[in-house]
Order: sequence, then structure tokens, then C-alpha cells
Amino acid sequence: MSESPGRVTTPNEGRRAAVWDDTAEIAAPLRLHETTAPQEWMDYNDHMSESCFLLAFGDSADVFFRYIGIDEAYRAAGHSLYTSQTHLHHRQEVALGELLVMTLQVLDYDRRRLHIYHEMRHGVTDALVAMAEQLLVHVDMEAGRSSDMPDDIYAHVSAIHQAHSVLPQPAVVGHPIAIRHGK
Amino acid sequence: MAMPEPAAPEGAPFTAYREEVRQEWLDYNGHLNDASYAIVLTRAHELLLEHLGLSAAYRESHHASMFTVEMHLTYVAEVNPGQVLTAATRVVEADHKRLRLRSELYADRVLAATGECLYLHVDTLAGRTAPLPADRQSAVDALLTAHAGLRT
Repeated sequence: MSESPGRVTTPNEGRRAAVWDDTAEIAAPLRLHETTAPQEWMDYNDHMSESCFLLAFGDSADVFFRYIGIDEAYRAAGHSLYTSQTHLHHRQEVALGELLVMTLQVLDYDRRRLHIYHEMRHGVTDALVAMAEQLLVHVDMEAGRSSDMPDDIYAHVSAIHQAHSVLPQPAVVGHPIAIRHGK
Repeated sequence: MAMPEPAAPEGAPFTAYREEVRQEWLDYNGHLNDASYAIVLTRAHELLLEHLGLSAAYRESHHASMFTVEMHLTYVAEVNPGQVLTAATRVVEADHKRLRLRSELYADRVLAATGECLYLHVDTLAGRTAPLPADRQSAVDALLTAHAGLRT
């Protein structure tokens, strides 16, 4: 794999989509990615920069995409999932070398859209560090517009959503940013 | 510290941010990566916080800092190498310890994303929220008033 230097990469670039197993149990939530916070994610205070929380959630989403069948070959054929919205919530600062464990929950979906929720927990204390709510859209990249997911990927999303129906709705989901007075 | 100069003519958003897309912000598609929009938003907002006297120097001098508790990005368009990024930022809400900023991010003057951040003013020694000092509160209130007519 050739890489242009100094661009954003994910740990799973070049890894092919997982082979979906209809008989395998689906974890609720999915636990697909963990990482230790590297030096390049630290700001001048030696805390993890805000945008790097989104990199970590993005890496978890990338593993999720490969799990449902979206990899480089799928994208090269002209379709992809684009992020339409991201809402990040920060709860704790992260220091160099701390282990971060990500989970992912499918909240809702239709033929073209996916509503997902991530949590990031501290790998040792299990404390909730950050959360992210995202809306993803399946797009036809050449046409530059949204398009239906193919049947196999749609079926995978549907199966995951079904498995995740036992999970509670996260408290932060669906709220705009606001100063809540009286708090 | 002297009171900051007004950001812009009364009623206009804050538009100090301007820079070219950086190579290290791109992903395998050669477009601005999802997470890099957050970098751009943060950099634009940092200039406004600096204008309010609430940036890195303030953290050093006052042992207090604006801590991002929430960030909401809505992606509108892809951004390519060579494009020039600008931002129009406004103070949409504030009280004695909280500040909410909203920006439109542009690439070559075309809307690329909108973003909002909620900040908490934190005493970094005590590790908890604290009221803004009076001079900073005045600066925040002045911009909040100036931007009031811009709200959509």
C-alpha cells in the first residue's frame, strides 16, 4: 500500500472488510477498537486535543464499516458512507499513553442513513471519557448524492440494530447544544 | 490586561480566521478528513477566545481555561487541497461560566460546514468550573450583545 506522507490515516486502512457470519452473535454494544493516546494527539498542556477524540471515534467507525462490508474496494466501486453530523461530548481529559476503549451502538437506520452512538471509556478505570453521536449517509460518490445501501449491507445494519434494541437510549442523544440555565 | 479591541463592526461576526488547507488534514480521498473539520473549528474559535483574553496566555496567567464540553459539526461540502478556509463566528449564548460559539466554515467562500461549541470556564487548580473574571465577562457580554442581531 502506498501512502502519501503526513496525512490522516486509520489503523485499518487496507484491511479488507470482515466476512459477515449470519450465525455469529452480535455484541451489544459493538466493541471494535481500542487505542493508547499517542504523543501526536497531545496539546500544549499534554492533554488530548479535541479533534483527536474524533479521530479515535473515526477509527472505531472505520472498523464498523469494514464489519458491515464497506472497505476500500467498496469505495473504489463508487459508494461510501459520509458523515453528515457529529456531536461530541467531553467528560474527562486524557493524558499521554492512557488506554481508551470505544463502543458503538446503532440507534436507528433506514435505506440511506445510519444514526450511531459511540462511547469512549478509560481502559483501566472504565470511566466515561467522551461520547459521540453521528448521522451517516450512504452516497453514490459519482452522482454526488445519497443512495440506497445494497441489500447485503442493509441486512447487516438491520441485524446489528436488532441486536442493539436491548440497549437503553443514551441520555445525551437527540439534544442540541445549549446552556441549560439553573444548572 | 487592557480591554480587548472590538472584534469587528457592531453586528458583524468574528472573521479573523483564514488559512490554507494543510496536507496533514487530508485523508486517503485527498479531502479534508472528518476530524480535521474539528481542528479547523477549534482553530477559528481559539482566535475568538484569544480576542476575549481567554486563550493559552490566560491559562498560564490565571490558572483557568475554557474547556470544551460539547462540539456539534454539520458537514455541508467536501474540502480540497489548496482551498482557503475562513470562518464567521458568533457568540450565541453566554452566562457567568459558560460560552456557546457558532461558526460557519467556508472553503474558498463556499459553505463547507457549520459548527457549535459549548465551553465551560474551569479553574484548573481546583479542577472545577468557576465564574469568569469581571473584565473577561464584560468582553464576552459585549460580543454577545454585538452578535445578538445575527442569530438565525
